[in-house]
Amino acid sequence: MADWRRLVPCIWSLGLALLLLGPALAPGYVLSYDMVWVPDLALRPDFLGVGSGLPRAVPSDAVVAVLDEIVPGMLLQKLVLVAVLVAGGLGARRLTDPRSLGAQLVAITLYQWNPFVAERLLLGHWPVLVGYAVLPWVILAAQRWRTTGELPPRLWCLVPLGCLSAGAGLVTAVVLLAFAVERSGRRLAMVAILVVAGNAPWLVSGVLHASEAVTDPAGASAFALHDEGSVPAPLAALGLGGIWNSEVVPPSRTGAAGWLSVALLVVLVGIGLRRWVRYAGRREVAAFTTCWVLGWGIAVLTWAAPDQMAWVVAHVPGSGVLRDGARLLALCAPLLVAAAGHGAATVLGGVARAARPATAVVLLLAPVAVMPDAALGVAGRLTPTELPADYALAREAMARDLSSGSRGDVLLLPLTSYRQPAWNHGHKVLDPVGRFLAPDFVASDDLFVSGRRIEGEDPRARAAAAILERPTPEERSAGLAGLGVGYVVTERGLGPVPAVTGTVVHDGPELVVRSLEDPVARATPWSWRIAMSVAWILFLGLFFVGLGSRKRRAVRRCRLDA
Amino acid sequence: MGTTILATIGSLIAGGVVASIAVVGLVSSQTGPGDTSPSDVTQPVNIDYGSNG
Repeated sequence: MADWRRLVPCIWSLGLALLLLGPALAPGYVLSYDMVWVPDLALRPDFLGVGSGLPRAVPSDAVVAVLDEIVPGMLLQKLVLVAVLVAGGLGARRLTDPRSLGAQLVAITLYQWNPFVAERLLLGHWPVLVGYAVLPWVILAAQRWRTTGELPPRLWCLVPLGCLSAGAGLVTAVVLLAFAVERSGRRLAMVAILVVAGNAPWLVSGVLHASEAVTDPAGASAFALHDEGSVPAPLAALGLGGIWNSEVVPPSRTGAAGWLSVALLVVLVGIGLRRWVRYAGRREVAAFTTCWVLGWGIAVLTWAAPDQMAWVVAHVPGSGVLRDGARLLALCAPLLVAAAGHGAATVLGGVARAARPATAVVLLLAPVAVMPDAALGVAGRLTPTELPADYALAREAMARDLSSGSRGDVLLLPLTSYRQPAWNHGHKVLDPVGRFLAPDFVASDDLFVSGRRIEGEDPRARAAAAILERPTPEERSAGLAGLGVGYVVTERGLGPVPAVTGTVVHDGPELVVRSLEDPVARATPWSWRIAMSVAWILFLGLFFVGLGSRKRRAVRRCRLDA
Repeated sequence: MGTTILATIGSLIAGGVVASIAVVGLVSSQTGPGDTSPSDVTQPVNIDYGSNG
């Protein structure tokens, strides 16, 4: 009986994950907006946080670059996509009533099948989803730490996993502070060490880039919480929706089903609230509520006060991490699933025994019924593709050239950030060429949102754009070489690009690679190298401490048993 | 007894309806229009705001 009850949630969670991802799990790479996976991501200095731009993909890119040496990139992507859904769902199950299987299954469904998950998947924010999946486990470990006084070894590993991007790291930090901290200075110091070490790679890199760490104020309103069709933004946020990019919003969210889904969730949470408060206790309720208020409050603030947010992101270094308000809604999910699970238990306990199975079906399938277009790769929009064979030929040609003594970074032309290639089923994606090739690359980080240009932060990309304005190809090449650019990679078929002089090392159907003469070696200050080394030691140190603690604990247990 | 039977029948109907809606929704949502190709590939790729943009 007990085994059966343990198995059902696992099967349900896996089933939901497979239903949601559907075709995304077929062979090929899923490339969608910011999600760019390639066969072999090469580890390079920029991924370690010493590039010229803000650390947008630190440490996630470096982690992938290391892991895909062990597991092929394609398989790794599938594993990550399935794991974030299943791990999140199974963690959410433990936040609610352990006595009610129905409550647990409802918590799993709500945590895995909601607009936050579907939209972030489509937008390619997989590090945010890793943080989201880790969240319930961080809560459980922090609770255990607080109640037993002993730091669970798994927390050392969970924190860095939850900090694979700045936004995710912020959410993980808030949750850890809310659930683990007590009036003990020692506990606070330990939490601070965990938070700082887990976030060290992007945090230190961000400090090193402090002069560029303010962002275009136009981005504050562009990336703020938004209405979803007829559902106003604050209400959409109650149901974990309201993302800025309307292209990734499932159509069901924008009409009557959107209203219905918010209403159902609010009603279920309302029914379960009193039971959950009694079950969880005041300290836990305070922690869950703090997270919910912060997540919903900051998200709504980006919608209600865009001008003030614009001022903040334009003047306070690092505050750009808050401009995508809906990203912080991850903080609301734990309270919602915990209370809604208790709501489901209350409903199931209130109906006749014979009516329970059918009532459970209603509760479990309602989230799917009101957002059916999340299924099968968000209605087929997460479709894998094969990267053009010409990319591999270009990479080989560059490798040959580099081995003959050439050097320098890559400049990607045309100088625009996103592509919409036919080979990717017409889906928009951040230019994958840079990640496919091995050296560091310079690419535009400007974004065009509803025809409005949101300026990027990379000064090197801006400098390259200015150099490309020069009148002759020779002057452009000399200027780019002075910037440390050794190769100019031009994608065919995307219109005219400024000509540069150089030796053509690859001329294929997709890409043309030109090697420039005498590129200047880009110097990374020693202070940066030392600072980032310390940051990475702290980050990786957490994993080692966690694994070491587990081993020590296992040995101690064996001795006690003996 | 009568109330229990009514509740059971009611929940069975509700369960059937929600399950049907879920299945119909799943099937019909997969037949919607996909992404459209860009009308002008030489222009930067544009991303759209939410509805209050």
